[in-house]
Amino acid sequence: MDTAQLLKTYELKTPKVLTAEPQVSLARFSPCGKLLVGGGYDARVRRWNVAAEGMPELPALEGHHGWVEGLAFRAEGELLFTADSWGQICCWSAYIGDKPAVKWKLDQAHDGWVRTLAVSPDGKSLASCASDRFIRIWSAEDGAKKFEFPQSEFGNLCFKYAPDGTLLTGDERGIVRHWKADGTLIRQFDASSLYLLSRLQDVGGVFSLALDKEARTLAVGGTKPVNGGTVVGVPTILLFDLATGEQKQKYDLGTQNDCYVADLQFHDDGFLSAVTYGTPGQGQLIYLKPGEPAPLLTYKQMQNCHSLSWHPDGKRLAVAATNGGSNGNGRPVDKDGKYKGNNSPIHVFTFPA
Amino acid sequence: MNPLCKPWEHALSRRQLLGAAAGVGASLGLSNLLHPVAAEEMKKKAKQVLFIWIDGGMSQLESWDPKPNTLFGGPFRAIPTSVPGIHVSELVPRSAKIMQHLAIVRSLCTQDNSHSAGVARIQRGDPKNRGVTYPYFGSAVAKLLGAGSSGLPPYVWVKPGSSGFIHQDAGFLGPKFGAVAFGDGKPPDNLVLHESVTPADDDERNALRAVANARYAKNRRKQVGEATSYVYDVARTLMKRQDLFDTTKFDPKDVERYGTHEFGRHMLQARKMLEAGVTFVKVNSYGWDTHGDNFNGHLSLMPKFDQAFAAMVQDLADRSMLDNVLVIAMSEFGRTPRINGHIGRDHWPEAWSLVMTGCGIKRGLAVGETNAEGTWVTSKEFDIGHMFHTWFNALSIDPKKTEYDNGGQPLPIAHDDCHAVKELLVG
Repeated sequence: MDTAQLLKTYELKTPKVLTAEPQVSLARFSPCGKLLVGGGYDARVRRWNVAAEGMPELPALEGHHGWVEGLAFRAEGELLFTADSWGQICCWSAYIGDKPAVKWKLDQAHDGWVRTLAVSPDGKSLASCASDRFIRIWSAEDGAKKFEFPQSEFGNLCFKYAPDGTLLTGDERGIVRHWKADGTLIRQFDASSLYLLSRLQDVGGVFSLALDKEARTLAVGGTKPVNGGTVVGVPTILLFDLATGEQKQKYDLGTQNDCYVADLQFHDDGFLSAVTYGTPGQGQLIYLKPGEPAPLLTYKQMQNCHSLSWHPDGKRLAVAATNGGSNGNGRPVDKDGKYKGNNSPIHVFTFPA
Repeated sequence: MNPLCKPWEHALSRRQLLGAAAGVGASLGLSNLLHPVAAEEMKKKAKQVLFIWIDGGMSQLESWDPKPNTLFGGPFRAIPTSVPGIHVSELVPRSAKIMQHLAIVRSLCTQDNSHSAGVARIQRGDPKNRGVTYPYFGSAVAKLLGAGSSGLPPYVWVKPGSSGFIHQDAGFLGPKFGAVAFGDGKPPDNLVLHESVTPADDDERNALRAVANARYAKNRRKQVGEATSYVYDVARTLMKRQDLFDTTKFDPKDVERYGTHEFGRHMLQARKMLEAGVTFVKVNSYGWDTHGDNFNGHLSLMPKFDQAFAAMVQDLADRSMLDNVLVIAMSEFGRTPRINGHIGRDHWPEAWSLVMTGCGIKRGLAVGETNAEGTWVTSKEFDIGHMFHTWFNALSIDPKKTEYDNGGQPLPIAHDDCHAVKELLVG
């Protein structure tokens, strides 16, 4: 698809907005395409029936603690895997129904914040990484531990399965590693420009990873940090050749206030989509075409975007963003004097079939 | 006598000599020179302060007042401490183990949510406005407790960045009570006497310097002249205490325990300064203003703070120094319960926490409460004025009876309408 046609096909028009309060930090379409699932700051797993008129919200799944930032699906058996910041992993069956059952649960799968979950291409394994600096591989069927990578020196923030069952991990120092399923290291990718030691603070790291359909191009997202505290930095995407480790391209995607590339996904039509959140208040949705020197599109109508998910049909896109005016040092109280939190507008864009 | 001396310069010269002599005494270990009982008595009487300033605003929710699994609680867990019933964030596990030494205040409610005004307002104790600039706590203690017998400056500041004499801290007390800042813990430039300068040459040079200082002071306010001389006096004393700055001679085990990071190094150096007898040591850590990426930020920052803080408290306890050293760790405010769109927390003076220990302070307790979501204080609110009253009491200075004399103007040393927090004080 040429650029003009691509931009016309995926033109961003007024989205349907679902509101999650408090915020969700990620929202993902299920493989069947009927459900949008969100995880975030109140330990609940939120669900919206996107196949129904008006996309009504279904009862949330409860039983987690802290934040829910691990979400993964297995189409076979309709399994939903969720993980929280207290180290718990949960497998839910029949996730589309009103009352999905807990198929299995690991209260202490990790000692700490589970950052990412992913299901292997064959559907047999579930991988998790956490702030305890372990990567663990579980049986998707019953939660039995199958394998554990040696504890790493630095924590991994994200990872992704390649179609061949190998695993890509991105750590807090900006190093991406490509592993065989047995823990043998295949290759390292240097994205250390996404990391900075600012006084005491380790800032940045690999925030997002994506692979194109052919598993040739690896996209690595984060920021090029300038300082810690109030973190600022230019949102950055690095493109690598997966087979050789060679860095092919680098995109600087805004100003220092635009900060992090929070999420990335290749579309089957060959372009890369990304979202950013910044300090304060900026948010961007970006389309990129590898090989092109600049983004095809930068959309700035949403505040602080934290995740994006393409519907399996490729014709819907969900972006979890943040309400406007979410920051400030004052006393944000409502008319009843109650302290106000923030919410996540989830923008669901629809494109012509 | 040097022929260049004038009678009124003798006091200065003697002070220098006394200061230097005392410095030598300290460097040799004062207790070695005195009857052990007398040395013990001196140790008991010499109150000191370690003031750890976490610049930018440590999050109370990610440290001393966690609200796990609540709306604004964030991702982290709370963990039990060595004191049954008191829980802290999982990000401070080492401090949790020494909670029996610590006192947490969870009910701070202060007046300023900006850094520019807040830092000074907090460190000056936010007294009533009387048209004067109050001293920072370090300058106040330097004035009220003095330099002690070490001959070292009474108020030193170990900080990242540049060195200097920070006279502004002293406010109306006059520049002499400012902070001697050691940038990155390094000594002042040219501290070591050049090998070509003999002691006799140095004495003569100093005599000349004293004359120049005196001439400089002649047409200036007394406080300015004093401060100028004082800086040189301090430098002379420090020349004899290079061991305080030679980090290569620090015990590698200590370096490991405190942390090889900037804050760890500075805290270890602060311990050396306290051991050498400095009255007030301030240690700064910068970069805590986590408006963006607060949780990754605190996940990285807090363990480093925790490591050095817990090592320091344990060391002071092991050396029986907690009986005479008041330790305070705090920021200018806390951080908002609500989490903003850049996953940060903003400034929140409404309900926040600090931690302290040491002389005069009850240990193993948490004073004050916030509500379930950590948004507001539900017990009695304490302002920084209450803390100043408490700290002065802990240092055996009665703020109800002690006043500054600002050129004839009597001024209270802490906010008139505040009082000490009795629950925090021993006896």
